[in-house]
Amino acid sequence: MLFNKDGINSTAIRLFLICILTGSIMSSLFSTKKNTVSWLYLLLLTVISAYSGTFNFFDDNKQVFVLFVLFIVFLKGQKIVDIFMELIEAPKLWRRLLLGYVILLPVIIACIYLL
Amino acid sequence: MNNLINASPEHIISNHSPVPPLASLRLPGDLAMWFFILAELTVFAILFIGFAIAEQHQSDVFSLGKTQLHQMSGLINTLALITSSYFVAIALRAMHLEQGKKSASLLVVAKFFACIYIGVKVWEYLTLLNQGIDIETNTFFTLYFMITCFHLMHVLLGMVILFFVAIKAAKGGYDKNNISGFESGASYWHMVDLLWIILFPLIYVI
Repeated sequence: MLFNKDGINSTAIRLFLICILTGSIMSSLFSTKKNTVSWLYLLLLTVISAYSGTFNFFDDNKQVFVLFVLFIVFLKGQKIVDIFMELIEAPKLWRRLLLGYVILLPVIIACIYLL
Repeated sequence: MNNLINASPEHIISNHSPVPPLASLRLPGDLAMWFFILAELTVFAILFIGFAIAEQHQSDVFSLGKTQLHQMSGLINTLALITSSYFVAIALRAMHLEQGKKSASLLVVAKFFACIYIGVKVWEYLTLLNQGIDIETNTFFTLYFMITCFHLMHVLLGMVILFFVAIKAAKGGYDKNNISGFESGASYWHMVDLLWIILFPLIYVI
């Protein structure tokens, strides 16, 4: 489904490449290795999540597909909370509140879809 | 209130970085902003759960609705917002090093990627409206327009906040000991990104 609209597909590929290039430059300029690695990890997970349905990774097994996509949501959320929001260096209560959100919400949504 | 900020009876355990000493544990930004962020996250959680429940009741309508969306625009928007969030994170890092002008420049790059998000979102809305699809078409599109418009408003508010933060940073208004306002703005922007990474799979992918 994602591959049917060529114009905007090529735009997405260009944007992705621009992101990689600018990130490499910024990383070398500002020595932000931790942020850059997290950002590349987030981009990779986003692409995997978006294309997992198109490439039918799970042989039309909707339940596994939903769990997979929601697990990726948790992985991405954890990275944003800990690295971008810098809550890894914050008091435990606040880190737990935000991490609880990115764990609980996907779990609730998974329960709604699967039960 | 101070107990909330400093509450940490033990070290944070993480695989990603060394355990910070207790004295260095500090909530970035203003406490009020974090309560605001929690309130916003709660409102969106209710919307996301409502969307998932509605999908179980009208699965045919939602399946058809999702095929009418432009999935690639959702992917572009996700990449744009994550990249924007990354630039805000390194702008904050630059500000910690008291490089105000560099930090302001990085915030401008962050806003450029946010503009990509806004442009794609507006294009997506116009495409749907040209197809005769609007907020009253069915339950799926009611929730789609409501949730994504609400999120778009948060993006716009975040851009206004980043605009003022960038101006103050460029004028040297922040330093290592006075950076709370910058951190609050950055945290708000990361919240907008966090919400989108849940919204995108829920509405476009699953």
